[in-house]
Amino acid sequence: MGIAVFNIEKSYEATPALRDVSMEIEDGAFVTLLGATGAGKTTLLRIMCGIDRPDKGRVHYDGADVTRVPVRKRNVAMVYQEFVNYPSMTIYENIASPLRVSKNRHTKAGIDQKVRHNAGLLGLTGVLDHYPEEVSGGQKQRTAIARALVKDTRFVFLDEPLANLDYKLREELRGELKTLLTHKGGAVVYATPEPVDALSMSTHVAYLQEGRVLQYGALQDVYRNPASVEVGAYFSYPTMNIMEADVTTEQDRIFLRISEEIAIDVTRFRDRLAHGQYLVGIRAYNLYTAQKMENLISFTATVELAEELGSDTELHVRHQGQVFVVLMQEVARFPIGTQITVYLDPGRLFLFDRETRQLAFKTFS
Amino acid sequence: MARIELESISHSYDSLSKPEDEREYAVSGLDISWADGSANALLGPSGCGKTTILNIISGLLYPTAGRVRVNGNDVTGLAPRERKIAQVFQFPVVYDSMNVFDNLAFPLRNQKTPEKTVKTKVEETAEILGLADRLKSRTTGLNAADKQKISLGRSIVREDTAAVLLDEPLTVIDPKFKGELRRKLREVQNRLKKTMIYVTHDQHEALTFADNVTIVKDGRLIQKGSPEELHAQPATPFIGYFIGSPGMNLLDCSLDDGRLQFADFALPIGQDMQKKMASYGKDFKFGIRPEFLDVAAEEKNRAVEFTVAVIEDTGAYKVLTCDRRNSRIKARVSESISIREGDRVWLSFPEDKVNLFYNEQRII
Repeated sequence: MGIAVFNIEKSYEATPALRDVSMEIEDGAFVTLLGATGAGKTTLLRIMCGIDRPDKGRVHYDGADVTRVPVRKRNVAMVYQEFVNYPSMTIYENIASPLRVSKNRHTKAGIDQKVRHNAGLLGLTGVLDHYPEEVSGGQKQRTAIARALVKDTRFVFLDEPLANLDYKLREELRGELKTLLTHKGGAVVYATPEPVDALSMSTHVAYLQEGRVLQYGALQDVYRNPASVEVGAYFSYPTMNIMEADVTTEQDRIFLRISEEIAIDVTRFRDRLAHGQYLVGIRAYNLYTAQKMENLISFTATVELAEELGSDTELHVRHQGQVFVVLMQEVARFPIGTQITVYLDPGRLFLFDRETRQLAFKTFS
Repeated sequence: MARIELESISHSYDSLSKPEDEREYAVSGLDISWADGSANALLGPSGCGKTTILNIISGLLYPTAGRVRVNGNDVTGLAPRERKIAQVFQFPVVYDSMNVFDNLAFPLRNQKTPEKTVKTKVEETAEILGLADRLKSRTTGLNAADKQKISLGRSIVREDTAAVLLDEPLTVIDPKFKGELRRKLREVQNRLKKTMIYVTHDQHEALTFADNVTIVKDGRLIQKGSPEELHAQPATPFIGYFIGSPGMNLLDCSLDDGRLQFADFALPIGQDMQKKMASYGKDFKFGIRPEFLDVAAEEKNRAVEFTVAVIEDTGAYKVLTCDRRNSRIKARVSESISIREGDRVWLSFPEDKVNLFYNEQRII
């Protein structure tokens, strides 16, 4: 039971937007369609929910082919990036509107109960009598979300619903949406360019690039085992550092040489080292500015920028022509040009084949 | 180069014929000083009065009361161009009919600068901005980030520019260029050491750019300090919540028989803290940052039991939303801690990390 799409193709004029996309989404799953602008997320979402039709391929709901069923006959809910509300109706009437036009007859008391319940969940109780133009951007989007929830549909589709909200509201709504949406039982499909949205809310993630799904799976599987450099580099928060490395042998030991200063002993992976060259990935939070544990590899670098992320500092440093990003979980100030020592955890490396760009192995499980 | 000061600045958009006590003030009683050569930010939510302050500094707006000083000289009555304060706006201002060189040269040629000097200054500015290889390019083909660099370039190309005001300069920049421009702005300030004031509602941009952040809310200054100070010693509960990710946990409590009494639990506190609190009153707001909570999976002395309602895993760390009957607290823990939604946890509150607010002001 759930949503399935098979071999979806879609082009806009001559430009392909989706190429041979197939995915199955089980009930209870919260699937994030992750990717940069133009990757095909919105196109796929619109085809899944029935706003658009694919050029080729099928869409199934609970095993039944719905490819040609228009969206209004599908009993789905959709939340858009723009705050879509009826300006002439109060917040209460906006939330009630899907129930008033629904085929299932709702009693007045039944509608009232549902509207107030969902308004309560989204913190809108105090503004039910207001009109959309009288409430904040966050409240407008909460109203659109409440309207999607009140419908009791099996499937909910959301297209970057937090994109137009400020940072604090996004942070708050992320936690709330996870609870509100996953407790509904059906499937949720959520398109976003933000890795942190996927990480903090979803059960599954599909990474799209140039109209193709490069990887789809359970959230932690994809995060821990990115199939390629592309997936690893994008699906990281804040970022994955990618470095070129050559395998070198010195006496009996085998090293991954990243720079003159950085050589990582990988002798224990001797059996798995198949190629002379790798792309090595390490997430920003596996680099440190202090020797937090044993066996770290140190190198010197120059600070280019300290980005303050509220409670963290994302340090951009340069080492022999390469830029590394180090996530410090504290508020720290570094003047530009400061020389520092960076410590790298060799037990947290992803090794990608330099030719195929596919994950070869990791230095951890 | 200049020091900029606001002295008892208030501004009302109401007509001056309205009696003083009936006017609504957009900003009031502002005393702020920005040091010569400093990197500053003016941070606050929409509608807090940021734009009004900016316009008063630049001279687009004459304040209802108070003085504006540049290096100690009263400039309140001076027109914008006489103040030598440059401004970079949300939308890049670029002349499409001119190439990059002529755009950067414009303010200098306006001053009838000799062409030889123009060339030197423009090339120097372009080098700082990373536009040196595109001086002959038409501006129509450039992206918004590069156009914004030109806007900045025009404001710094004149040596007599006293200060630069940046008004939400990243608003229309494509997300993939924002990072680079953020870095460039910081780098330019650092290199030229011109006084700059960056106005934004985005804490991330403000804290990254500035060594000194001024927070304004409802037209009033509520705190001025370094990013570390705002994080560690927020002057009001609002700042505790607004700065930091996630924001500070804020809980109502009262001092009762040597303990802090919350909605459904109590915490014993030390003598010094009790004494200090008692001198203020009875009801307080208790603040602690999610990253400073101590989270244990087993019962522990002086720890309070909660149930984990939601886990948001960001990769680098996890944010736990922990519930009790009438209390909710967010805690930030390492990604390596294994914990599941529905688990019971015991939270303790290290006393040296606690902030207490009385009447919306930080006292501890």
